Amino acid sequence: MSAAPFVELRHISKYFAKVIANHDVSMQIRKGEVLALLGENGAGKSTIMKVLYGLYRAEEGQILVDGQAQAIHSPKDAMALGIAMIQQHFALVQAHTVTENIILGLVRGRYDIRRYDRIVAELAAKHGFAIEPTATVGDLPVGVQQKVEILKALYQNAQLLIMDEPTAVLTPQESDLLMDFVKQNTRAGRAVVFITHKLREVMEVADHIVVMRGGRVVGDLRKAETNELELSRLMVGKEIHDRTYVEDVVHDSRPVGLELQNVSMRDPKEDVFRIQNVTFQVRQGEILGIAGVSGNGQSALCDAITGYRPVTAGRILLNGQNITDRSVRERIRLGLGYVPSDRQRYGLILSMQLTENMFLKRSFENTWVRRGLIDARKLAAYTTEQIHAYDVRATGPDATARSLSGGNQQKVVLAREVDMGSQVIVFDQPTRGLDLGATDHIHRTILNEKKKGKAIVLISAELSEIFGLSDRIAVIYKGEIVGIYRNRDLNTEKIGLLMAGYTLEGGAAYEQQD
Amino acid sequence: MSSKTRDLLLTNVLAVAAGLTASGLLLLFLGANPLVTMGTLFGSLFRDSYTFADIFVKATPLMFTALAFGLPFQANLYNIGAQGQFYIGSITAVGLSLLLQGRMPGLLALAIVALVSFLLGGLWGGMIGWLKARFNANEFLVSMMSTYVALNLMNYLLRTFLMESKAEYPQTNPLAQAVWLPIVVPGTRLHVGFILGVLACVSVWVLLYKTALGFRIRAVGSNKDAAELAGINYKRLYVVTFFIAGALAALGGFTEVNGVQHMLVQGFNPGVGAAGIGIAILANGNPLGMIFAAILFGALNVGGTIMGQLSGIPSSINELMLGFVMVFVILAYYVREKLEDRREKARLKKAASL
Repeated sequence: MSAAPFVELRHISKYFAKVIANHDVSMQIRKGEVLALLGENGAGKSTIMKVLYGLYRAEEGQILVDGQAQAIHSPKDAMALGIAMIQQHFALVQAHTVTENIILGLVRGRYDIRRYDRIVAELAAKHGFAIEPTATVGDLPVGVQQKVEILKALYQNAQLLIMDEPTAVLTPQESDLLMDFVKQNTRAGRAVVFITHKLREVMEVADHIVVMRGGRVVGDLRKAETNELELSRLMVGKEIHDRTYVEDVVHDSRPVGLELQNVSMRDPKEDVFRIQNVTFQVRQGEILGIAGVSGNGQSALCDAITGYRPVTAGRILLNGQNITDRSVRERIRLGLGYVPSDRQRYGLILSMQLTENMFLKRSFENTWVRRGLIDARKLAAYTTEQIHAYDVRATGPDATARSLSGGNQQKVVLAREVDMGSQVIVFDQPTRGLDLGATDHIHRTILNEKKKGKAIVLISAELSEIFGLSDRIAVIYKGEIVGIYRNRDLNTEKIGLLMAGYTLEGGAAYEQQD
Repeated sequence: MSSKTRDLLLTNVLAVAAGLTASGLLLLFLGANPLVTMGTLFGSLFRDSYTFADIFVKATPLMFTALAFGLPFQANLYNIGAQGQFYIGSITAVGLSLLLQGRMPGLLALAIVALVSFLLGGLWGGMIGWLKARFNANEFLVSMMSTYVALNLMNYLLRTFLMESKAEYPQTNPLAQAVWLPIVVPGTRLHVGFILGVLACVSVWVLLYKTALGFRIRAVGSNKDAAELAGINYKRLYVVTFFIAGALAALGGFTEVNGVQHMLVQGFNPGVGAAGIGIAILANGNPLGMIFAAILFGALNVGGTIMGQLSGIPSSINELMLGFVMVFVILAYYVREKLEDRREKARLKKAASL
């Protein structure tokens, strides 16, 4: 299979206004092979593939398809060359049926939809997908929507299928099915590029591995000639310290910091429950991990705890005090900290300086306000102090939040929220999109706050994070807590089943706590 | 930072120059020599102290209406109704002045008139903010239409309760000299209102950049979601911001009535609201910059009026010139963005090749 490569990228560089996305990136993609593009979030994996797919235009470099130099200016050009890409966020019309989505843009004038339904059904059967062509896409689970995307590419006879973090939205079981498909697809003589930051997936599915870091290629290897340790070294630039959870203390004697009693939130527009009947307690000095596939009610849970949206039933108590009807501002005053998953939208004001972002939650207090005026010097001194304490890489306290990298932005939010949340802190995906250095720093901070006796809720889709930090783990599925367990009572397999909506044998779900 | 400031000054100067050049080209079609005409224009601005001081007289209401647009703009709100708020202030000022004059010392009357105009304008503006907060009404449309309500309210009052004693024209009786705003430079029309305008600009700057309330206004304008999660009640801020904006525009009406017109005439100063928007944009939303931008507009206004008096040149050249300058100033904003972008890219390219 070492014939001429199907696609070759030569010395591609791409700059964005604020970051170097790719620098001198070259690689070869061959038919019949799975190329895994491995790297941390922000390493430039998606960008280089978006260049190939015609979504971005490279500043320098060349793209060769079947040995011919090609100018790919749009996804349409890419499709014409047999290149398809499945984005992290699907490009599907929610209100249309599966068939309509697949033939979108490929038919003109009058057409017989039933004929296309049959073609789609045949195609799905051929690849072993259980998909109803007439189903409305919006009604389908995410895993099936992904299959619709794949079918769309196959329908157009794509020779190269680029998949950007395809397993991010899937349960472990669904991921396995996807891997099988990828292998089968390459056996049929097509090429697949599998973008991921998960080593396990790479070792399972790849033939050929390109490792990226900081926008550059740092490794180009065959799977047979490498191992996980080498890959992780290449990816991170240093070795990962295994930080498994050791402490196993029962916290039952400590006072409860945060308590939710049968909390429900109904979406008035959709008339569905975003969360339903959620009950848990977090004691002071305890971390409660909330595991679940993204989009199973985690954001509604945060909205309920922070007071961003009103709950429709149930009670929320902070240190025993009922805060259900309290405003966001009052909850902050009572010592509730919140690190949101989308820090750029909910945590920071990007156009403002770091000082102003530090001031954001204290504008009603007199900490930095003297005789009605903001004490700029005191605020700058505090910010500088925090920049050093949290190792934020910034030009100074007056740098704008936008000028910082994702990891440093998150450190700013963390610094503020750790300070604000004197009693309870909710971390929602605190390390999403961050490199391992920043992740490690954040994990340390969370453990440190726990030691100080704060009650901590850690919401995460990363199982390693959940297992590495939590004392107890609650699993959320479709807006309901399907079980709360001691950390040591769960393993990856069990939690995978729970996250996918199965219950564990012996009726262990809905376990009551004391 | 310094290259940013340089861009700001350079592009704005070029924009004004381009605007004047474009208007000059149109003069060619009229058969006038643009160089000579422009020369006369700028020469005449400095011809005597009366004309020169008039620049600042014209700038006075513009500072207020610019603030009325610029302050809500910081909260990502569009106040297109400064003209109407200006009229509310004018009506209040003239009505109350006529009522109070001769019954108390002039300065006391002026203070009361200023305060009441401020409050009523604030209520008028605050109402727009309240509709936005309560019903999520589009503040752009509500404020724009509220100008017509204010305008017609003014026209109605000028034909009824406020109409002059002779009952000939839709205008009020002239104000007694006791309630005129004091003149600052003798022999000119320059009155205390200009100083009030400068003070208003400085105050709004302090409010925005030095106080917690101003910080919250900017926070809501930059990222409403993050502000809300920080406990900031953006609905209340909508009302407060529009209250201040309306109050400031109304104060502009007060300075114009008690400082320049000394009466209220139907349909007076119809362009101050729109010009205020341009000035706020020219100043890049910075209240201190609005002082200078308003003076520039004042100068163009006075110059254009003089030009219109020259033979063979229509008086509409005044608005034409302002329009051209506005267009180029807005273009300059995008040019600055582009320049900043390009600098950033070059810097990265350099960093990458190390």
